[in-house]
Amino acid sequence: MNPIVDSVKVLADTLSSAGNQSQALHEIGFNPNNIIENDGLLISVVGYVVVFLALLMLYIIFSNLTRFLIFRQRKRLKGAGKESDLQKEKLSMTGEVNAAISMALYLHFEEIHDLETTVLTIKKVQKTYSPWSSKIYGLREYPKRR
Amino acid sequence: MEGIKQFFDFTGFANLTTGHIIMIMVGILFIYLAIKKEYEPLLLIPIGFGILIGNIPFLEDAGLKLGIYEDGSVMNYLYYGVVKGIYPPLIFLGIGAMTDFSALLSNPKLMLLGAAAQVGIFITFAGALAIGFTQQQAASIGIIGGADGPTAIFLSSRLAPELIGPIAIAAYSYMALVPVIQPPIIKLLTSPSERKMRMKPPRSVSKIEKIIFPIVGLLLTTFISPGALPLLGMLFFGNLLKESGVTKRLADTARNALIDIVTILLGLTVGASTQATIFLTPQSLLIFVLGAISFAIATAGGVIFAKVMNKFLSDENKINPMVGAAGVSAVPDSARVVQSLGLKDDPSNHLLMHAMAPNVSGVIGSAVAAGILMAFLLNI
Repeated sequence: MNPIVDSVKVLADTLSSAGNQSQALHEIGFNPNNIIENDGLLISVVGYVVVFLALLMLYIIFSNLTRFLIFRQRKRLKGAGKESDLQKEKLSMTGEVNAAISMALYLHFEEIHDLETTVLTIKKVQKTYSPWSSKIYGLREYPKRR
Repeated sequence: MEGIKQFFDFTGFANLTTGHIIMIMVGILFIYLAIKKEYEPLLLIPIGFGILIGNIPFLEDAGLKLGIYEDGSVMNYLYYGVVKGIYPPLIFLGIGAMTDFSALLSNPKLMLLGAAAQVGIFITFAGALAIGFTQQQAASIGIIGGADGPTAIFLSSRLAPELIGPIAIAAYSYMALVPVIQPPIIKLLTSPSERKMRMKPPRSVSKIEKIIFPIVGLLLTTFISPGALPLLGMLFFGNLLKESGVTKRLADTARNALIDIVTILLGLTVGASTQATIFLTPQSLLIFVLGAISFAIATAGGVIFAKVMNKFLSDENKINPMVGAAGVSAVPDSARVVQSLGLKDDPSNHLLMHAMAPNVSGVIGSAVAAGILMAFLLNI
């Protein structure tokens, strides 16, 4: 007999007896045997392992991708003769440092402006007279006692 | 006189049942929580109002074409997007277009926390089988532990369409109640000194890494779990729209107008699907209980795994165990919970960026889990 199958059966029996002992669980139809009968244990274990593997592979790929990109950057800098930029701190900055630099640049270019433009934007508009737009016809004339 | 009697028979008063009253109260409670407590108002307002719409009593089976379950009714047409699993991938498109994966890329080991938290799905799946649900129903209930409403709806629409209503309501309710459910579990499993633990600031991530991630992520995850293709395909597509930098208009539409429209339709129809005469069953109550257990196990799984990881990490790379709780994919609520708990113990310890990493990897993890369950259980 396969030892794995044996141990699964023992586990099922233990869970089943535990389930039978508990009156409360019995009332809502708790039957641990259903897990084994419906491949519950197999699907759960395999499913969880596969989820883990998928994200583990992503982790491996992206942790190595970073190393590869830094290696490529070092090679390029070496080729360009910029040996002083090869220090680890200069190649990989923290997000906080980047955020501070971005903020400083944003304030410099967008926000802070000590000098206001002196160009006037209010312009006088010339209008030729027309009786259709004459103001006097738009005003109410009160009757006058003669 | 006959006409008046017929009119009365058609009114809500004549068809009112206790179930309708209970569900209307639940709808009002959802709206109250959304407005007063600000628990996920973008979800709870549409769902709460949907519950009200779905529980206005009317004469059923009279050919009025009013109820969400009656063929030809307007609500039935809108509900089609839920039943056929159309809305969830569109929501994922929007999520992809608004998600910044740089927190994840700067510290890729945090991806494992997103995987660890999926334990809730599989333990609850086994538990639901033991209670007597079918394999398909058990899988749909278990996925609530992923704390991802769209994924729960997508999987149940494929495996157990008869349970979509209660599963969707449970999943979205628990997503909204993350700030209530998670803190006690986190506090139970961590000591004050662990909660004060500081993490190394995340490094800056280059544009090329951000562009490679959705492409490699899609290829890798969907080759392993093709069932998750509609969800992960749209998630990574949306993210590429954002990160490529050349499709700003498309990314803006996906993360604003499109996701808003779909959220309105999804929330309203999911709420309306709780028609008392169909929804209020002991089975629904059981689903709610199992969903809560699943969610609690997922949270605990993430925290415990973070503590296990710390045993193998150097001092400077140690992880604050609370960050593990963000492995459930309720984005960004569980990350916010971690941030606020961290600030309570140390007002200068900001954990939000660190917590966002397992949070977004939890989205990928729960979608992969849904794909795996589909592959095992879909009746072809």
